[in-house]
Amino acid sequence: MRKTLDRLYGIALACACLAMVAIATLVFVQVAGRVIDRGADLAGMARLGISVPSLAEFGGYLFAASTFLALPATLRAGVHVRVTLALKPMPPTIQKGFTLLVIALGFALAAYATYYLGAQSWTALERGSVSYGLIPIPVWIPQAFMTAGLGIFAISLVDEFLTTLSGGTAAFRQAELERGTGEGAN
Amino acid sequence: MDIAILSAILLVSLFALLLTGLWVGFALLAVGLIAMEFATSAPVGQVFARRVWGSMNSWDLTALPMFIWMGEILFRSRLSSDMFEGLAPFTRRLPGRLLHVNIFGSALFAAVSGSSAATTATVGRMSLPELQSRGYAPNLAIGTLAGSGTFGFLIPPSIIMIVYGAATEQSIARLFLAGVFPGIMLAAMFSAYVIVWSLMNADKMPAPEPAPSWSERVRAIGLLLPTVLLIVAVIGSIYAGFASPTEAAVVGVTGALLIAGVSGGLDWNSFRDALTGAAMTTCMIALILAGASFLTVAMGFTGIPRLLAGWIGDQQFSTYALLAALLVFFIVLGCFLDGISIVLLTTSVILPMVLAAGIDPIWFGVFLVVVVEMSQITPPVGFNLFVIQSITGRDMFEIALWALPFFLLLVAAVALLTLFPEIALWLPNTMMSN
Repeated sequence: MRKTLDRLYGIALACACLAMVAIATLVFVQVAGRVIDRGADLAGMARLGISVPSLAEFGGYLFAASTFLALPATLRAGVHVRVTLALKPMPPTIQKGFTLLVIALGFALAAYATYYLGAQSWTALERGSVSYGLIPIPVWIPQAFMTAGLGIFAISLVDEFLTTLSGGTAAFRQAELERGTGEGAN
Repeated sequence: MDIAILSAILLVSLFALLLTGLWVGFALLAVGLIAMEFATSAPVGQVFARRVWGSMNSWDLTALPMFIWMGEILFRSRLSSDMFEGLAPFTRRLPGRLLHVNIFGSALFAAVSGSSAATTATVGRMSLPELQSRGYAPNLAIGTLAGSGTFGFLIPPSIIMIVYGAATEQSIARLFLAGVFPGIMLAAMFSAYVIVWSLMNADKMPAPEPAPSWSERVRAIGLLLPTVLLIVAVIGSIYAGFASPTEAAVVGVTGALLIAGVSGGLDWNSFRDALTGAAMTTCMIALILAGASFLTVAMGFTGIPRLLAGWIGDQQFSTYALLAALLVFFIVLGCFLDGISIVLLTTSVILPMVLAAGIDPIWFGVFLVVVVEMSQITPPVGFNLFVIQSITGRDMFEIALWALPFFLLLVAAVALLTLFPEIALWLPNTMMSN
């Protein structure tokens, strides 16, 4: 079970990274195409006219998918920002109580978000909504990736809850304790 | 429901949720849900989904992961040691000598990185041990680093400005350019302080070192050259209107990979760490952004920001009084919250009020960034303090005390920016693709 879950979070993070690499690659092609054309103009040669159609839309979709797919791994690495200041002076049992409370609240909100983003994606699929640009991209695809990211995020919160309840330390808590703070790392 | 009671409920629930330790993005989302529940009969779930999709599906925001990635790659390269060795020969003759390396190094690294914590960590990792071994006073060695590490937010590229620009629909390119001169001004102010301090405390300075030879200088320039070229390529292409911020960022990523690849230190592991690190930092920011953008819509339904804006408009406060009040409010908030959370909370509620007072939104972005810089060095929650604490093992409040002069210089800089808004606004107005 542990192995399966970790693999799930790992795959989601890998997809998030791939989406970032895809953004970089597409934009690189676009910039390189422009530089080549500028050079061709200067040399008096014909333009090659390489460009990426609908780059702005692809970029936005990849960004949305990437950030949401990274949610579970970011949680477990303790990177999501929260205020742990008020908890520090409290005894461990109360800290643990609050940890369980915020995980439960987080799960409720993540489940809510999964449900409504999933419903939105479903509606887009039914209506066949596509983007406005040169290449019509079905909108439900990036929305489904966001929903998947949120769903796995909700699962990872249940995972953290059960770990804490059974006497262990939640992965994000462990990361925070090692770093000495929960207040992010930007 | 009475709007005053609703405001009180929302404010109390926000702080209660934040103090419980709920993740900031979720806390904003929860407060948005409460507001919607009380203020409207609109279908909350659908509004929520549409808003989150709308705010995340954004071409402007793609600049965020790219600039973060660029910084992550450079953080893992040999850049920090090259920069120290490159800057040291040139600062040796200034009063205050190598202390200026902290300031100039931070300003340079800030111009290739969008994050304060990364700037502080990259420069400090190299400079603090060197300064200590050469006998510089720790209060100034650490204070200058804590202060100038905050340049990461002001000098473009800047993560905070991308977030502010995306949340307020302002041009990120113009925001970037607006940060250039205030950044240079702050570096000059910090340097001037170091010069004055070291002239007054000559007894606390280590013995002078010989002037650098010409061969040393040439070698130093060679070490600095890749960084300078990268800065010119990234910021220059935005200024010239040749590239959008995202495009410039991808040029930056490519350049960073080249620099790291050529100078050594980029293997598969560090490449993977940089990529996953960037993905996770972006994700952290995106969660807060999603929560904040929903909160903005929810607040719109309650009518609270409109009411506040109308009230400010009626009061005919002077701009100075309003900005002074906001400054104090932000400094207090900055003691407990991180910069991105402060900026996004502000854009949800306070921005309509600021616009109603006739303040330029680009200028206000710069103002907000400088104020957020202060929050980086105010205890008990200040990221630069955390970073330096982990490098030096010193007590956080001691570091904060040493950073206090630089905090005050930041306040002075805000005053200067308020009196002379052109410091920020002149450069973006000369931008070529106006």
